[in-house]
Amino acid sequence: MSVKTIADVEFGAELEPFQPDTSLAATAPFAEAVGWGRGGRFNDHERAKKEGLPGALVPGIMAMGFLTSMIHRWSPVAKVEHIDTVFRAPLLADQPCTINAVVTDIETEEGLVQLDLTVKNSADETRVFGTANVRLPVA
Amino acid sequence: MLDVEELKGKFLNLEFDTKEFKLDADKVVMVAKMSGETLPQFTDPNHPDFQAPPAFIASLAAGRNLPIEFPKLGGIPMDGGKAVTCIHPVKVGEPLTGRTHLHDIYDKTGRSGRMVFLVSRMEIFDASGTHLATSDSRMVIREKPAK
Repeated sequence: MSVKTIADVEFGAELEPFQPDTSLAATAPFAEAVGWGRGGRFNDHERAKKEGLPGALVPGIMAMGFLTSMIHRWSPVAKVEHIDTVFRAPLLADQPCTINAVVTDIETEEGLVQLDLTVKNSADETRVFGTANVRLPVA
Repeated sequence: MLDVEELKGKFLNLEFDTKEFKLDADKVVMVAKMSGETLPQFTDPNHPDFQAPPAFIASLAAGRNLPIEFPKLGGIPMDGGKAVTCIHPVKVGEPLTGRTHLHDIYDKTGRSGRMVFLVSRMEIFDASGTHLATSDSRMVIREKPAK
C-alpha cells in the first residue's frame, strides 16, 4: 500500500523489501556520474582484486541511493529530510542484496517518521545501516 | 597516537574549504536511475521540481579532505559513512557553494584497537546564500598498533 499521509503509518511497520540492481552495469555508470569512474574499484572485478579488494564494490553512496529510492516507493509523497548511513563493510557488485526499513518513531502532529534502515547481502550480513527522518503530509 | 581533545580544540568548526559547483542534469539522472529511484523530480530534467537526490548531494567533494595543518593520520583511512540533511531542493544547473569544516572528532576502542572518526561537514548554499543542504562525511582511521 502506498503511504499518502502520516495517518497511513504504523509504528513497527516494515517497508516492502527492495532488491536493487547491484550489477556492474549499474555500479559503473553510477561511479562515473559521481566522478569515481577511474580505476576498477566500482566497474571491474579483476582490477578491483588487483587493488586488494574481494571484487568490484557498490559505491557506499549508491547504498544511500537504494535506501532513499525504497522510501520513495513506499511513499511517493515522502520527503527525506535527513538520512544517515554507516558503511559497516563492503557491498560487492554483482551480488544480490536486500534493503529493509522499519518504522521506529512517529510524530503524528508534525508528520514526521523515523526509519531504521539496513542493507544486507545474500548471507544476511548487514553491510550498511542507518536511519532516515521522513516528512509526510499530515492530512 | 592522535590526541582527540587537542584536535577538537584546534580544528573543530573552522571552515577549511570553499568550492563552487554546478550540477549536471545527465549525471544527476544517472545517479537517481541507477539507485532505483522512480520519482520524476529526481529522474526527469523537465519536471518543475527537478533536483538532486541525497546520494548525489553526498557525492559532492570538497577541494581537500582535512585542514591543511591537520597532522598526519598514521593509520588507514576508510569511508565510514555519509549523512545528508535536505533543507531546500538542490537545483541542477544553478551555481552552488560548498563550505566545509570539521564537525566532530571522536574515537572508539575495540578488540582490534582504537579507531578515530573525523566528521567533515559541507554546507551547501545557493547564489542568494540560502542554506540548501548539509552533507557529512565520516572518515575512520584505524590506528596502527604501537611497535
